[in-house]
Amino acid sequence: MSIGGSDLDKAIGQLRACRPIPENQVRELCYKARELLIEEGNVVGVDAPVTICGDIHGQFHDLMELFRVGGDVPDTNYLFMGDFVDRGFYSLESFLLLLCLKVRYPDRITLIRGNHESRQITTVYGFYDECLRKYGSANVWRYCCEVFDYLALGALVTGATTSLSPTDGPLADNTNIDSLPDSDADIEIETLNANGEIMYRYARNSDSQSSAASQANSNPASSSPVAPTPTRTGPAGTGASGSANGSKGNDTGAILCVHGGLSPLIDTIDKIRLLDRKQEVPHEGAMCDLLWSDPDEIDGWGLSPRGAGFLFGADIVKCFNHRNDLSLIARAHQLVMEGFKEMFDSTIVTVWSAPNYCYRCGNVAAILELGEDGSNAGFVRRSNGDQGGGNGGWVLGSNVGNGNNGGQGGNGNRRLSSVLGDSMRPREGPGRRYRVFEAAPQDSRGMPAKKPVADYFL
Amino acid sequence: MSAPEIPNLKSIFANRRGAPSRGRGRGRAHAGASSERAEEVRDTAVRSTDQDAAGSRVSCVELGYLDDPYAQLFATQASTRRLPLLNRGTYVRTSAIDLLVDRFLQTTPDAPKQIVSLGAGTDTRYFRLKDHYPNINLRYHEIDFATNTAAKLARVNTNKQLYTRAYPDSPPDVFKLDTRPTTHYSSSYNLHALDLRSLATASDDAPPPTLPNLDPSIPTLILSEMCLTYLQATTVSSILHTFLDTYIPAPTPISLVLYEPILPNDAFGRTMISNLASRNIHLPTLTAYPELEDQRQRLKGYGFIHGFKAADTRLIWREWVTGEEKERVAGLEMLDEMEELDLLLKHYCVAWGWRDGGDGVFTRAWAAVLEQEGA
Repeated sequence: MSIGGSDLDKAIGQLRACRPIPENQVRELCYKARELLIEEGNVVGVDAPVTICGDIHGQFHDLMELFRVGGDVPDTNYLFMGDFVDRGFYSLESFLLLLCLKVRYPDRITLIRGNHESRQITTVYGFYDECLRKYGSANVWRYCCEVFDYLALGALVTGATTSLSPTDGPLADNTNIDSLPDSDADIEIETLNANGEIMYRYARNSDSQSSAASQANSNPASSSPVAPTPTRTGPAGTGASGSANGSKGNDTGAILCVHGGLSPLIDTIDKIRLLDRKQEVPHEGAMCDLLWSDPDEIDGWGLSPRGAGFLFGADIVKCFNHRNDLSLIARAHQLVMEGFKEMFDSTIVTVWSAPNYCYRCGNVAAILELGEDGSNAGFVRRSNGDQGGGNGGWVLGSNVGNGNNGGQGGNGNRRLSSVLGDSMRPREGPGRRYRVFEAAPQDSRGMPAKKPVADYFL
Repeated sequence: MSAPEIPNLKSIFANRRGAPSRGRGRGRAHAGASSERAEEVRDTAVRSTDQDAAGSRVSCVELGYLDDPYAQLFATQASTRRLPLLNRGTYVRTSAIDLLVDRFLQTTPDAPKQIVSLGAGTDTRYFRLKDHYPNINLRYHEIDFATNTAAKLARVNTNKQLYTRAYPDSPPDVFKLDTRPTTHYSSSYNLHALDLRSLATASDDAPPPTLPNLDPSIPTLILSEMCLTYLQATTVSSILHTFLDTYIPAPTPISLVLYEPILPNDAFGRTMISNLASRNIHLPTLTAYPELEDQRQRLKGYGFIHGFKAADTRLIWREWVTGEEKERVAGLEMLDEMEELDLLLKHYCVAWGWRDGGDGVFTRAWAAVLEQEGA
């Protein structure tokens, strides 16, 4: 039998109901998927608008919640940064559904490989056992692993806008309208809850920002929302001309998406393109690092406590972004309690999409929406002068008196940027809309749900 | 390491409803037969978590985290490999308590010492210590419900390795053994079948139950690995006063080592409470003593006035485990759950307190053990 057209839609329907499809259909699906994926480069090109998602880990019900919050395929263009399987109870249904959607709508969904898309890891962390339990043999696991070997290692998002068109949504309960920037301001970051209500929003080149600012100041240790450090060093030069960033007003660099992070063996994106990816994830080397590494508050490179990949510091990210004309690296791989976490002057962000991870961690999840360049056509950068006195733009050091913002975040980064000088000034970051959501009630959609039982030490 | 036995739920729930102990009234009986049935269900659920813990220990042994030839003997279910995260946690907890116990036993090694393990369940510590310190003058006591001590003795009496260690004096005539004993007494290993809460109700009129072979005059370490945490804080306090005032009165040195969860109020802690509640497991001391400082003050309040210290297992992994050992353990399995491990380790603590006049065996034994700064 062949899985195409209506068969595929049938399979999608069945998987959406969290019911596995028969083994022969899985084989067919995996074959089709491989044919498709083999055509993709190691770094897939993706046009904005796109919604970027982090780890899923077999939490099928939460994946459905993600689609509810972020929009369905194919209406929304998705990019999943790996770790579809392991840990949760429904790795099989989650991965096969994503794969079906990929085969059905290849241009509307991009899947890249995570470190759990590996034979070795899945035998330890659950996916292998799940396949064995659900099919009575390891065949399906084998088919899936063959697909894993063909998944791209990264994606490069281009055409993202620097400025979000503000959501016309209601405010979330705790949001103070006075804390939101003016309606005509250039919105850099907006965070919405699962109901589409605005949690906070803040403007580029503004130090009178949303509640995120006070939140970050009152709790410098909290990871995200990060201290709202604008990515720019000082508009005094840039902003003053009104069009110093080019007449289009949208000149954000590309966004590199990768599951883990950078590798000391990779200094250009072209080097990623040259790797031979069609293999099991190796224990070391560039391919391994891309899937295993983590950013950390260190200088340069460090050893990873995970036993694979490396730790890398702000200097590494800034150099890499500059060299490759990137404005942002989006990655997943690390649990962050608030769903997302921007680091290093917003040059890298961790996106985590598995709420209440392992049914135990109590975290919320997030997805990152990047808007399309041109959705804000005709936009021209506002100069400081245009904004008027009290509402002035971001001036180097202008918010230093604005409380002691944790000591590290803002000040240090700003110093770094000024040290690096104009030649190293980061590209204008894309406008970023985060949608934050919680774990789905397990029995809410009539889908079979095993009562989650998390292990503790008893 | 113990597979910390969870006290019999029947008693716990009876207690929560106001009845002081098993066998007496069941408190509010309005639920009648259906509540009995519900308790049976809870019983079964909790018993399975106990064997779960025994299985976790086996998993650790099989992967090389722990050296415990006895773990397998007490596990009844087929061993399943646990996630690296859980193996690491079990390792940290076990080695932390081992360290405190070892320092105690190695201080004036020839002097007699005593250990009382509360809710010991299928714990193998006695047997491991017996191998590690073959000539030590140690009295070891385990206190648990009769169903648990009976199960343990059934295993001990039918396994030669265990048997020879449990009967150090003179091997008994096997034909005279009870067919299903619940208690065991010897000069070194003792199993007391009793409901811990019966120690809490002691008064002048009703003295606490006698614990045969418990010596009131030798330095005593009380061990509670996930045991007292299932009881109400006031009950725990009464039990400890019975130990400190009646069983082991001053000036005999006495100490308590606790292993319990902490931090109930953050996202992970709230999730833990709700997850366990859905399994009918409640941890009253978790909410009573939410932070490390509460744990320290609690020890002091019991009367462990010469030392009251606490550290979470995250610090213990970082600071107590030697670099060499960390490297060995990290090499056993690839661990991809760093953030989750951090969260988990932060939510369990070891607390240790003592009363020994300020210059006794515990003060000397634990002087160099690093505690955690702050709450």
